[in-house]
Amino acid sequence: MTKLKVLVVALLVGILLPSAMFANSQKESSPVKADDGVFTIGMSQCNLGEPWRVQMNADVKNEADKYDNIKVIFKDAQNDTLKQRAHVEEFVSAEIDLLIISPKEAQPLTDPVAKAMEAGIPVIVLDRAVVGDNYTQFIGANNVIIGAAAGKWAVETFKGKGAKVVELMGLQTSPPGQDRHNGFTDALAGSDLEVIFKADVKWLEANARKEMESALSRFDKIDLVYGHNDPATHGAYLAAKAAGRENEMMFIGIDALPHEGVAYVKDGILDATFQYPTGGDIAIQQAIEILNGEVVLKQITLGSRLFTTENVDKGGVEL
Amino acid sequence: MKIKNDNIFDLVKSSAGRATVAFFLVILLGVIFNADGAFFKLGMHRDALRQASVFGILAIGMTVVIITGGIDLSVGSILAVSAVTFSILTIHLEWPAWIAIIACIIVGGGLGAISGSLIAFAKLQPFIATLAMMTFARGAAKYITGGQKISTYITNAEGEVVIKKLPEIFKAIDSRILGGNVAMVSIIFLICLVVVWIFLSKHKWGRELFSIGGNEEASRLSGVPVKLTKFIAYTVSGAMCAIAGIAQAAQETQGDPEAGGGYELTAIAMVVIGGTSLNGGRGGMGLTLLGILTIGYLEKILSINAVPESGRLIITGVIIVLAVLTQRKNKK
Repeated sequence: MTKLKVLVVALLVGILLPSAMFANSQKESSPVKADDGVFTIGMSQCNLGEPWRVQMNADVKNEADKYDNIKVIFKDAQNDTLKQRAHVEEFVSAEIDLLIISPKEAQPLTDPVAKAMEAGIPVIVLDRAVVGDNYTQFIGANNVIIGAAAGKWAVETFKGKGAKVVELMGLQTSPPGQDRHNGFTDALAGSDLEVIFKADVKWLEANARKEMESALSRFDKIDLVYGHNDPATHGAYLAAKAAGRENEMMFIGIDALPHEGVAYVKDGILDATFQYPTGGDIAIQQAIEILNGEVVLKQITLGSRLFTTENVDKGGVEL
Repeated sequence: MKIKNDNIFDLVKSSAGRATVAFFLVILLGVIFNADGAFFKLGMHRDALRQASVFGILAIGMTVVIITGGIDLSVGSILAVSAVTFSILTIHLEWPAWIAIIACIIVGGGLGAISGSLIAFAKLQPFIATLAMMTFARGAAKYITGGQKISTYITNAEGEVVIKKLPEIFKAIDSRILGGNVAMVSIIFLICLVVVWIFLSKHKWGRELFSIGGNEEASRLSGVPVKLTKFIAYTVSGAMCAIAGIAQAAQETQGDPEAGGGYELTAIAMVVIGGTSLNGGRGGMGLTLLGILTIGYLEKILSINAVPESGRLIITGVIIVLAVLTQRKNKK
């Protein structure tokens, strides 16, 4: 019996305390009314384990802070589909004015989103889609296009030189990883660029460094490293630098977060990074139009920006 | 003639012999699939050892814990706490490196000591106590960083990104010595290994660890301070995680709160492949060294051959089972 007690205490300490600490850093939800002229927006984030999604929440918050009559409640589903479903249901019962959701998966979250729509809550779906079209608006970027932009840049930079490319891929069981690979591969088709080494580094910098070391020990000539995200390319750069070979090749990545990819370009580590916008700011701007009763587009495809050594101080160029 | 055969047979039957056979089989794999000769380059071996080093440091602490018949699932999370603490102290707060290192070891050892107290004094199952610590420490790493990586790129109050200089200690730990042939992290790993190895084989505490793992009740009755010895074992494991976290941060040039996810499983696999028994009481640091090298080289060989992820997982799984199956006969 005492064993059981101790076990319960351990579980409490181990699980409840961190969640209490998280709750502390996020605003708690409470039933809300728009009577006082303040609109409450629920932001259901599937996972805050990735810097890109932390940036998305920051973009939402920064944009919302510009308005006096907007209050955003953030919930983080910690990569758990059912937890996110519960969050959406909580938002519906709290009678929020608008829901922004960046869903973990399409199928299981389609129905909760539909329930919110039935309850009269407009829904903006951000980044990842749900099934069908029972939502107010979808905002997202296109990974195939961005992967292709990286490929096009590579072909233009290296054409006729028989360049050898190392590709460090994002998780290949996830659509963004597949799309960034396919877009790039299509853009390289018919050119003289050749991918001589590719590995699934699952978005992780530590993995990328390991794989790049293998590529370096195997190939005496590498001209370009293409990482599916900036941290992967950064890891590859560290490996090349350790081998004293960082100057013989170029490094490009995707995402262009201000404190990651863009900073790497400024620091002379990356030669180019292609922005994968979070759409957090656009979502708030669109939310305000929706709340003001205006008709909005069903779908917004976000553009990308290219940051290179030459243009990074001017804020990059639109692609 | 017959006697000599028996001797060789005996050697292969011993734990060390079996672990050595497993290691050389993996090396043979590398010789056969040498990726156009890449396997024979010196740099490849230096890199293989460097990559195995962080896991190796974790496996040292894990060995100590497993000898007592316990397990430590929290090593990857404590590594992350240490990596972000080290980065905050040195990059953001610009503390002198040696104070930051000591502070990290105190933090890591402290978290290990909490697990150790729960296990030794509150009599929690090691699996439960360290599972809770794994969750708690991961949460702590995310809490102190706000979920962001701690790097030399710092967003200031105006939303601009300021680039700070990477502290010298990061470069020093990620450097190479002996003519660029040995990575500093590998040296750190080997120092940890030798120190703990000496304590295990020469010190009273080492003998007591083995005796607890063999038979806890008998050890207690014969006057072994069971609780204190166990407590120290988990504290040592926590301190090793702290050192591994510093090495990880130095190599990534940043502290990532997500670092070390799943590393506990690799560390356990290294210990078990070496031949240290999960039942406790049997094993040693030399065996773990062989396990570290076996897994480290296996990963490297799969990597230089650019084997797809699916293939890597299958091959690694099969080799772990084969290696442990050969160990099993040894139980007696």
